[in-house]
Amino acid sequence: MKKPLYLLVFLSVVSLALLGLAPFVGLTEITNNVVREQILFDIRLPRALFAFVAGSGLALCGMVFQAMFHNPLATPFTLGVASGASFGAAVTVFLGLSFSLLGFDAVTVGSFLGALLAISFVYGISQFRYGFSGETLLLTGVATSFFFSSLILFTQYLSNINDSFRIMRWLMGSLSVTGYQQLMQLLPIVTVSSAIIIWLSRELNLLMAGDDIAISRGVAVKRVRYLLFLTTSLCVGGIVALCGPIGFVGMMVPHICRLIIGTDHRWLIPATLMFGGGFLILCDTVARIVIAPAELPVGVITTLLGGPFFLWLLVRSRKPAT
Amino acid sequence: MIEVNGLSVKIHKTALLEAIQFHIAEGDHLVVVGPNGSGKSTLLKSLLGIIAVAAGEVRIKGKPLAEYSQRELARLISYVPQSSGKQLPFEVEDFIKMSRYAYHTALSDWTPDDQAALDDALRITNTTQFRHRQMTTLSGGECQRVMIAAALCQQTPVMVLDEPTSYLDPHHQVEVHQLISRLNQQLGITVVEVSHDINHAGQQGRHVLALQQGKSLWYGPGEAFLEAERLKTLYQQEFVFVPHPHSGRIIALADPQ
Repeated sequence: MKKPLYLLVFLSVVSLALLGLAPFVGLTEITNNVVREQILFDIRLPRALFAFVAGSGLALCGMVFQAMFHNPLATPFTLGVASGASFGAAVTVFLGLSFSLLGFDAVTVGSFLGALLAISFVYGISQFRYGFSGETLLLTGVATSFFFSSLILFTQYLSNINDSFRIMRWLMGSLSVTGYQQLMQLLPIVTVSSAIIIWLSRELNLLMAGDDIAISRGVAVKRVRYLLFLTTSLCVGGIVALCGPIGFVGMMVPHICRLIIGTDHRWLIPATLMFGGGFLILCDTVARIVIAPAELPVGVITTLLGGPFFLWLLVRSRKPAT
Repeated sequence: MIEVNGLSVKIHKTALLEAIQFHIAEGDHLVVVGPNGSGKSTLLKSLLGIIAVAAGEVRIKGKPLAEYSQRELARLISYVPQSSGKQLPFEVEDFIKMSRYAYHTALSDWTPDDQAALDDALRITNTTQFRHRQMTTLSGGECQRVMIAAALCQQTPVMVLDEPTSYLDPHHQVEVHQLISRLNQQLGITVVEVSHDINHAGQQGRHVLALQQGKSLWYGPGEAFLEAERLKTLYQQEFVFVPHPHSGRIIALADPQ
């Protein structure tokens, strides 16, 4: 009966093991203990923790989108929300804005607003016509994504070479941080978002059954949806602002977790948070060592894995749903 | 129980329902009939708060629908949608348990009352034996009984069903019709049901509401419904009437002349 609990413990142990081991990968050749310690605690550990928190947040937002739109292919990335966030961030970089709102820096605020703009657009279109199919939703997402990508290119074109290069590197998605500053910026955002989403786990279960059923069971669907839009925009915006758009984590992780642990969000949410963290650490570690001593942006790795995964889901979804 | 006064519903400026007027008494069994696209499902959805009312008023227990929260409404009306539950990625029991949403907050525990509601719903619909199956593995008839069990578990005085027998074979149609009659007659649940089965409407419906192009064509007692001119106007189709060889009740047959 308590099978999900064992599976959750298993996923957590694997993910935490990845968190614990990742900082040591590629550290053996350094013999000087002081340097070793410094690298471990000032670079590797904060990076692993940062990757864990970012991965958790990305996976969780993907899970929310999949439940809300009843489609395993619907995620903040496929629906163009991450592009919106990237555009918002690129604009703030380009304009050289620097202010602070409620403790968030300008890039985070811009990124959040961009995400919100994109999600409102995609959802607005999806409400425009009655009887909207999953395919049309995804195509709207693709169009939104292209649209914001062009706007980013435009921003880049207008920027000087330095800003342009910064924007490009950042768009590849990277977790190279030093110290704990970025972690401390990201942690409250992901914590608050996760808390709200955990609070709404019963609503998410009902949304998976379809809007009409959810409403008839007593869910104020519109209000819940707006709250989830705001929450995921905040979370995606925060992550994109700090590490760029790291694609496909939000698609692969919740899907794998659902296969392992089932569709009940009271189990699925903690599993997604844990495995999302572990998964991104794994990808980041691979990105660090695969062309050592240089390193790849982690977004390259996740996208290389995500592309085929997307196609697999697409082919599979032609068959009756499981 | 439910009063519908001059109800109109619009989507993107297209009128789906216009000036609908009827009352549903407690314990009533209302069958809504009409051709495809006549607004039957829309009517049910507007009673449930799924579709917004453009004009007119729906009152439930004397209070306007708009003044109920979705949660309060869910304790009064339950819903069996037209779409099949076979696509739903849930275990039967988990799906039925989700119907208790309106009685809970995010932190409240499953109570003995909830368990009793679940067990009763499973027993009454005869679905106890597959409570641990996945919805996706059920047959059409089993799945429809589970959908009704889920509505029943919500413990509402009113149940609204959208074409509950449309995709079922004759045997399972009879089974589901009998189940709905039991809910109405033995448990006193007020039933509002959309159906394409005019003989079912005439026989089991205490009242019948006939819709045509979003307007109310006829409303009256079920036994007065089966009448040649009315059916012809409603469906643009000739009907003949024959007595049932066993029960003697008049049944209508479409006559393709």
